[in-house]
Amino acid sequence: MQRGSFSYKKYSYSHHDQKGPSQAIEVHDIYMKKSKTRVILSYVGIFVFLANTCYSLLVKEELSTSSFWSIFVGVLFVKCLRYKPVKKESVVIMPTFGVQLETHFWSGRVIHRFVPIGKILRPVLNECVTPVTCYWSLALMLRGEENLLLVFQELQPPVKMLVPVWKALCAATNGKETCSS
Amino acid sequence: MDKRRRHRILMVSDFFYPNFGGVENHIYYLSQCLLKLGHKVVVVTHAYGKRSGVRYMTGGLKVYYVPWRPFIMQNTLPTFYLTLPILRNIIVREKITVVHGHQAFSTLCHEALMHARTMGYKVVFTDHSLYGFADVGSIHMNKVLQFTLADVDQAICVSHTSKENTVLRSGILPEKVFVIPNAVDTAMFTPAPNRLSCDEIVIVVISRLVYRKGADLLVEVIPEVCRLFSNVRFIVGGDGPKRVRLEEMREKYSLQDRVDMLGAVPHAQVRSVLISGHIFLNSSLTEAFCIAILEAASCGLLTVSTRVGGVPEVLPDDMIVLAEPAPGDMVWAIRKAIFMLPSIDPHVMHLHMKSLYSWHDVAKRTEIVYDRALQSSEKNLLQRLPRYLKCGAWAGKLFCLVMIVNFLLLRLLALWQPVESIEEVPDMLSVQHQDEVMEHDFS
Repeated sequence: MQRGSFSYKKYSYSHHDQKGPSQAIEVHDIYMKKSKTRVILSYVGIFVFLANTCYSLLVKEELSTSSFWSIFVGVLFVKCLRYKPVKKESVVIMPTFGVQLETHFWSGRVIHRFVPIGKILRPVLNECVTPVTCYWSLALMLRGEENLLLVFQELQPPVKMLVPVWKALCAATNGKETCSS
Repeated sequence: MDKRRRHRILMVSDFFYPNFGGVENHIYYLSQCLLKLGHKVVVVTHAYGKRSGVRYMTGGLKVYYVPWRPFIMQNTLPTFYLTLPILRNIIVREKITVVHGHQAFSTLCHEALMHARTMGYKVVFTDHSLYGFADVGSIHMNKVLQFTLADVDQAICVSHTSKENTVLRSGILPEKVFVIPNAVDTAMFTPAPNRLSCDEIVIVVISRLVYRKGADLLVEVIPEVCRLFSNVRFIVGGDGPKRVRLEEMREKYSLQDRVDMLGAVPHAQVRSVLISGHIFLNSSLTEAFCIAILEAASCGLLTVSTRVGGVPEVLPDDMIVLAEPAPGDMVWAIRKAIFMLPSIDPHVMHLHMKSLYSWHDVAKRTEIVYDRALQSSEKNLLQRLPRYLKCGAWAGKLFCLVMIVNFLLLRLLALWQPVESIEEVPDMLSVQHQDEVMEHDFS
């Protein structure tokens, strides 16, 4: 049963229920639109890097500082243009049982991660600060572990899509208790 | 009655907690009082060790520890333009209206004010220290200050002496500079419940033992006072490169039982050290203001200080004895203070300090500065560039070039990450209303 959906820029959010053995299973999906430009740019980046490296290693007679620098710049170039082929990331909430985090790629590969409900201390909305930007992320605080577990490992969806997922996770982990940030 | 305008202030400085000092305290106390007045305050500083990201302090004070590493004396590496993306992001997401920079020595402050002006926001700058004019470091610092203050809306100085110093160094119009002295937390610095006996007089010194703070003067003054007055004892708190000289002085004149060296005193224990004394001795060679003597006066101690910088403006004559920064004059001042002691009542002094200095008063006066800043006219880049040209024959043109490049980079950044794509942050609210409002504010 479809509960809600909306889009924002390159992300789409969808929330629906599935029938489970005893209770309904909530599924929250966040889709990322495939960008042909980014795919082409990533191939261009790899081609430039390979051409540069081959030139430095095979054509030039000896390796100098400039060739190391050009290889290093090539690596940075590839890293910037790298395109993550993620189709969607899902959060499957099975009440009283656990939460499954899934990452689906365009190639068909799927990565699953299951977290038992008792292991989750609290889901939190974090503000992450980097040297150049600041963005929101949703993470799970786990009992007995120092590190937070990111719910969406590859994608950086906008906060308006993170809030309903966070509320659903709070409801699943706390039962009747209301969530406060 | 006009409704008071609610400001959203961004305090920027390299100096904030967990680092400890006058500027850090000033920013914290001012922010807390502004929050009480109903404004929104966000602080931006660089990361301290592993402390990086967003933290909330008392009263909902949000602090961004931006992961730029400090490179010298707690300052962020001056990159000119690399801080533009993160500062723009923070200013837009927090819906800031005024950017307030602190301390001329902070590179992050200068960069933030430059970017804020380029983005068209109102900026206010507070200068906390006095600087020289003659040495190479001061000359460069003053040029940087001239650049920042060429286009600032309002400036604040902590004393009239500091205002004169800032105006001379930077060439800013005196009408744009407000004088708002620092204050002291009189609730924390209270006198001892029972008055100390005057049989043995204790003189307290708490300062960093460096040249600037007059540690060399102490080395001359302490033995002379101990020789003249047999019932006087000294307590010296603080650490620094000059501590060795003081230890040597103790050894030379055999004053181990009359001079206690405590080492570095954490700020939480300063009050307990102060209330064990009758007189507070400050021997600084330069001071824009001096919060240390405010703390001492709030604890009921009579102050003896050098007449430098803004110190004469801090306390009334019945609470302080001033002297020239020379050993003979300081010994005379201590003698005068010892004779004044019987007439001093610490509790009366404390109550007087409470009426004179309060951070709430500082916040109200700062609010007036923000109101004045927001009233100043909007100017585009072409109208602002002539202000930079006045800074010097070569410097003026360089500054104009820096601002033009900053403007172009801002436009590029606006194409890469438009303002609409930066998500605004909802304000911290009380727990009861959070759930209902969250849905609304995030959409």
